[in-house]
Amino acid sequence: MTVTIALPSKGRMKEDASEIFRRAGFGIVSVGNDRSYRGRVEGRDDIEIAFLSASEISREIGNGTVDFGVTGEDLVREGLAQADERVEFCARLGFGHADVVVAVPEIWLDVETMADLGDVAADFRARHGRRLTIATKYWRLTQQFFSGNHGIQLYRIVESLGATEGAPASGSADIIVDITSTGSTLRANNLKILSDGIIVRSEACLVRARKAGHDDDPVVGEIIAAVRGTL
Amino acid sequence: MPLINLPAFAPDLLEDFAGLGTERVDTPVIQPAEPFLDMAGEDLRRRIFMTESETGESLCLRPEFTIPVCLRHIESATGTPRRYAYLGEVFRQRREGGSEFYQAGIEDLGEGDVAGADARAVHDALKVLRNRLPGRALKVMLGDQSVFEAVVAACGLPAGWQKRLIHAFGNQDRLRSLLAELSEPVPKGVFGAEVERLAILGILDDEARLESHIDETMQATGYSTNASRSPAEIARRLREKMELASTRLDARTLATLRAFLSIELALADAPAALHDFARSQGLAIDDALSRFDARTRALADAGVDTASITYRSAFGRPLDYYTGLVFEITAGDDPAVLAGGGRFDRLMTLLGAKTRIPAVGFSLWLDRIEQAIAQTSEQTTAQGASA
Repeated sequence: MTVTIALPSKGRMKEDASEIFRRAGFGIVSVGNDRSYRGRVEGRDDIEIAFLSASEISREIGNGTVDFGVTGEDLVREGLAQADERVEFCARLGFGHADVVVAVPEIWLDVETMADLGDVAADFRARHGRRLTIATKYWRLTQQFFSGNHGIQLYRIVESLGATEGAPASGSADIIVDITSTGSTLRANNLKILSDGIIVRSEACLVRARKAGHDDDPVVGEIIAAVRGTL
Repeated sequence: MPLINLPAFAPDLLEDFAGLGTERVDTPVIQPAEPFLDMAGEDLRRRIFMTESETGESLCLRPEFTIPVCLRHIESATGTPRRYAYLGEVFRQRREGGSEFYQAGIEDLGEGDVAGADARAVHDALKVLRNRLPGRALKVMLGDQSVFEAVVAACGLPAGWQKRLIHAFGNQDRLRSLLAELSEPVPKGVFGAEVERLAILGILDDEARLESHIDETMQATGYSTNASRSPAEIARRLREKMELASTRLDARTLATLRAFLSIELALADAPAALHDFARSQGLAIDDALSRFDARTRALADAGVDTASITYRSAFGRPLDYYTGLVFEITAGDDPAVLAGGGRFDRLMTLLGAKTRIPAVGFSLWLDRIEQAIAQTSEQTTAQGASA
């Protein structure tokens, strides 16, 4: 059986992922030219590389169309329901650090915790005639965190596909759930992260699709061991 | 196997509804999704079946009847009081059972006699269930959100704590953890560096100064104040939060709340027990109790056996539009809820009604009733065989 590994198709993530695999003893080369979306491992006919966008990688692992992928934990947890049943996080790779956080306007001096936010949300309808709105592209993570972890039900999600951090200032939402690595964009937009508002501390991970055939496949175990060995 | 055919007893049920003086209404299966998400919260999104219209409006398959029936009433601008009956399919992903099933029920809108309307809802639910399940012992569990609210208010807690406790009513775990938090000796409030700075400057002590400081900061940062929380709202809640953080429940108040939440007895005995409780704890909750008494009397007058109803003080539904009575009916020892209902005096205004319209209603789970009927006939057959 051929084992397929999905790697990020461009940018810093592509370089960092390739470097990890090189150190693990798998030299990755593109098939054809540099921009090709297919690759292989030098000297290994039993491993294939697919270069995909980060969000496609989480979807393909979820479908089981690839065996491994390198992508952010945030994308896997957002993209797949019951992620831990469907995939295994084999190794945290130490790059692509970013947190998915709950951020509110800095000027909300009375809101520092999720409990504060719960109080504000409970009252919002009576004061403003509408629910508290959250701009985010992380529907699933937001719902799990607010409803599941903090018992907050009374809010509405406003889908945001870009420049989420601008939503509170423009008035299109009250607060946001977004990804941040240094927090500088949030600060520049006068937003603050709640003290218990970190939903996922994400980084690039080696993720395996849980597939029945993997138990008997020595290559699968070899890849996991080799990648872990570099860390 | 999901129910796709009307239960065999549906015509009889509709006849009962007509006999109870209700007006049968139907609502479209495809509904705008917004009102459901607005009322029940974003978590409902995972359980309903959503789609979009060509113009991008969010639509869903009818997940329940109360909101569509109320909306229909508001749109048709008919007068009150009105008693509507419905029977039809609803669509919702459940842990157990199929995701398409039948519900039926009655919504009683605009009846000024609150005690009488409450009693009639319980009476009617019991009556139609008894007609489907003759001979089966039906159990009613009854709670009252307004009695809990009155107890919390009478305990003299700060407004912030009252709101938190009332909001958690019906959610046992949440209520328990709030009470635990309230009894901790160490203040739990978390305040940011900016708040500490304002405290040192003395700005926190003066609400007007705090408000104008917040206003100036908002203007300087270009934050759109008209779109969201105003400086006054933030200032008020910051001071409320400081009060929250510094309030701890004394042992006596905590004991009072815990004692109240553990009350469970036959409804017939509940009025006397609640009056005794209020007197022994020194709580002034006469208004709430007189409404409770009136409802209990109205139930007895309607011919309902109040000794067979259990009153549980902590029983509630964690939705913010329930305001008073809540009840559930089960059969025998089977925990499946066959009927559930309650009073929702806030819902009509939330949905856009111009005037306040008191409302009470119940819905029946027809698939569970069908199962209960099947169990009953199995038992009868088994008894017949052994005889």
